[in-house]
Amino acid sequence: MSRRTRRGLARAAVWLLLGMFIVLALGPVAWGVVTSLMPLSALTTVPPEISLANVTLDNYQEVLLSDQSLTRGLVNSAIIATLTAVISLSLGSAAAYALSRLQVVGANKMLLGILATQMFPGIVIAIPLFLVFSQIGLIDTYPGLVIIYLSFTLPIVIWILKGFFDAIPPQLERAAAVDGASPFQVFRLVILPISLPALFAAGVFAFIESWNEFFFAIIFTRISVKTAPIAIAEFSGQYQTLYGQMLAAAVLASIPVVVLAIIFRRFILEGFVEGAVKG
Amino acid sequence: MLAAVLAYPIGMSIYLGFQDVTIAPGGFSGTFVGLDNYTRTLSDPAFAMAFRNSVYFTFVEVVAVVLLSLAVALLLNTPTGRNGLFRVILLIPWALAPVANAVLWKWIYNANYGILNVILLQLGLIDEKVVWLGDPFLALNAILLADIWKAIPFIALLLLAGLQNVPGYLYRAARLDGASTWQRFRFVTLPGLRVPILIAIVLQSIWALKVFDLIFVLTKGGPGDGTVLLNFLAWRVTFNFLDIGYGAAIANILFLLMFLLALAYVRTLDPNRALRKRAAR
Repeated sequence: MSRRTRRGLARAAVWLLLGMFIVLALGPVAWGVVTSLMPLSALTTVPPEISLANVTLDNYQEVLLSDQSLTRGLVNSAIIATLTAVISLSLGSAAAYALSRLQVVGANKMLLGILATQMFPGIVIAIPLFLVFSQIGLIDTYPGLVIIYLSFTLPIVIWILKGFFDAIPPQLERAAAVDGASPFQVFRLVILPISLPALFAAGVFAFIESWNEFFFAIIFTRISVKTAPIAIAEFSGQYQTLYGQMLAAAVLASIPVVVLAIIFRRFILEGFVEGAVKG
Repeated sequence: MLAAVLAYPIGMSIYLGFQDVTIAPGGFSGTFVGLDNYTRTLSDPAFAMAFRNSVYFTFVEVVAVVLLSLAVALLLNTPTGRNGLFRVILLIPWALAPVANAVLWKWIYNANYGILNVILLQLGLIDEKVVWLGDPFLALNAILLADIWKAIPFIALLLLAGLQNVPGYLYRAARLDGASTWQRFRFVTLPGLRVPILIAIVLQSIWALKVFDLIFVLTKGGPGDGTVLLNFLAWRVTFNFLDIGYGAAIANILFLLMFLLALAYVRTLDPNRALRKRAAR
């Protein structure tokens, strides 16, 4: 075999594998989206009658209008995820900056400790917190869930931001200090503006995590602050034969996070994924 | 505040593990029962089953996710695969809400109208519809597959980042020395990926032990407790059976397992950090 045909074959194999990869990665998602656009009658024939002529938005209309629980869930999730992201960023950026610059004794150990909190199984935290929260009335409230979510978004936010702050040359701050800026002014006027990309990455991460969270939500919500994942799980338990509506609800809950992930892909890939490798 | 939200519950959870907690009017009351909750796990068939399921689930998940992710990472590191489009494709399953993922797979596995049966029937791989979630072992593997599919993107991106940190001159040098493709993979790529692969193994084991949403939506632990993992068992014992002390004991055992894994993670990162510092000096 000549070198050229071998290279051609290798390239064909890569294309074939990439094709398989696309089908396997997107196939299930695509099937879910298609399902959500089909009337029940088309789905319950074997094989399913999938055609453009059948496309309808009825399922979306139904889940959003007839049963208010999903709409309320989406609103609750938006409120809780936004609060969590904003508070994580304001507390996390200050903490990360302190850990990065102020030469706190044992900062590295503290950081590893912070990271180790990620490894706790939620259930260990959930049982005692449930007892405490039920005594002080935080069950089924926004603050209750936000406090819990902060406990696992804050460490990651600090982790991402500290890595970023470490990479900022200290000369910048010294220059500002020479000009008479206080440490707080340096942080607010010099560090924060050039850290916007990292802040976005961390904020998006906190938002996605708390939007998607299920385990604590099912324990700590009852009626009034049910989040979107809970609404979907309940919906799929109650109306398991309304396949199209079930999938429409799932698509609705996924759109915000998938869109955010795609828009901020560069930050997620650089800030988070590579951060995990470099440590 | 972080300490209050994390340290206090853990101490409290350890304390609860030694208690028999009952729900009294107006609050909870506990009596000290020593190690009773822990000895009970030894004779509890539900615990034994959940433990076995967890071990099987975690082992298969880690092996499958790491191997498949490595394949994906290598594929996306080829000149054609490096196109950013493919990384965007990976982000979609990653970002998907886990509950949405669970609902999606519940529909795919549906015995009557699910696409999986339709495809397998048309390919002639099965003769009649399979009730994927009807048999304990089949259901456990169905949950595994759905979770593996969701877990691959992150680990693949992590390994891809690792691949891109392997210096190109090593490959050129190996090529000059006449190394074959396999040899370059075996002696340059794999050693270069040692740390990312270790991290992937530890992180994925931890995440596999945490799986909850999928079980809740797909099977609720059934059939016949076949898909109950330790995490799910602790939740059910505590919040469905209201046996809080026993639930805390199971949670603590799980905590210990994951703590050991976390130590492994920190250890893996730490020497690496020391090396980098030395290199920077």
